[in-house]
Amino acid sequence: MGKLTIGCFSSLVGSTNLDFAVKLSAAAMEKGHKVDLWVSGNGTMLSLTAQRAFKDYSYLEKTVTELMEKGLNVTACEACAESRGYHEDHTLAGVKRFSMDWYLASSFDADRVLHIGGE
Amino acid sequence: MATTKLGFIVQRPGVKSENPKLALTHAIASQSVEIYLNDGDLVTADIAFIGDGVLNCKKDQKPEYLDMSTTESHIKMSLLLDLNVLICKEDLERFGMTEKDVVIDAEEFGADIEAKVVPYEEINKMMEDVNHLLFF
Amino acid sequence: MKLAAFVSDYRNTVDTLDRLKPEKLGIILIQNGVYHATTKEKGNASPVLGYSADYYVLQEDLETRGYTSADVGDNIKVITVSDVVDLLFNDYDKSAWL
Repeated sequence: MGKLTIGCFSSLVGSTNLDFAVKLSAAAMEKGHKVDLWVSGNGTMLSLTAQRAFKDYSYLEKTVTELMEKGLNVTACEACAESRGYHEDHTLAGVKRFSMDWYLASSFDADRVLHIGGE
Repeated sequence: MATTKLGFIVQRPGVKSENPKLALTHAIASQSVEIYLNDGDLVTADIAFIGDGVLNCKKDQKPEYLDMSTTESHIKMSLLLDLNVLICKEDLERFGMTEKDVVIDAEEFGADIEAKVVPYEEINKMMEDVNHLLFF
Repeated sequence: MKLAAFVSDYRNTVDTLDRLKPEKLGIILIQNGVYHATTKEKGNASPVLGYSADYYVLQEDLETRGYTSADVGDNIKVITVSDVVDLLFNDYDKSAWL
């Protein structure tokens, strides 16, 4: 089994890139792969706690929480989050916050990297 | 001891979008990644500007209107940190630009290396050479 | 290199695809990229389908947009997200999200 590092820079609301990133994470974990998910830029919105589900917007808090319980490693870019007012106390339980070098370190020993840039 | 090479490909213009700047800041983070790695392990970052992304390399960007750093200053910082910065020659020519129009050196920062304006073929070679590609 | 290129938009991807010269190219049409597989403009197929590549389209993104596998040409394989994982790990060594 391998390691997949996914970087996603797109917003939770306003794009479905994060939906795909999370589905791909789940599918890879299902096959026994280890998955690191790095969210940066607008993607840090995924790290917010207390997301409210509306049918018109993407909602991933429940799915991501369940995946993290199964071993998904989610890390948000701390500077990107802070610049948006997403502070430590707004962060979804289980999501880590580090600087950008964390993503590169995760890529270091990844078998595959899928980088989903912003829009 | 192992080295993982990353290729950052910037294909969109910046300012309106933070995307190109995030490419540069992530590439620059290769200089501090060792804190997560074993001794001797390395992550290297090559940066290539292609397509409309070459517009990020334009000289004389004025930061004062938005009070934010520019891609120009981030490219200079990348050069100071000895990152390999490639700018696609054909795309510059498409915009009627030459080496004189873009950031080539960062002497004022004390950088020893320069950005290289190269044919796309060189950028293709870089993309072949790296372990992972990150398109911005 | 063996490159899996993800095309997630309906516009603005041809230029980059034109220039990628991997030894093996897979084009994975997802999100709004699926319109390349389903839609003709003035009777012409999308230029994205004109490369020497293996083509894949994500089934759930087709169906989300009102299409089915019957709307897609025989040269395009309809796949699931689980298949994407296998493509990434088994068939290609690098990926590009365009």
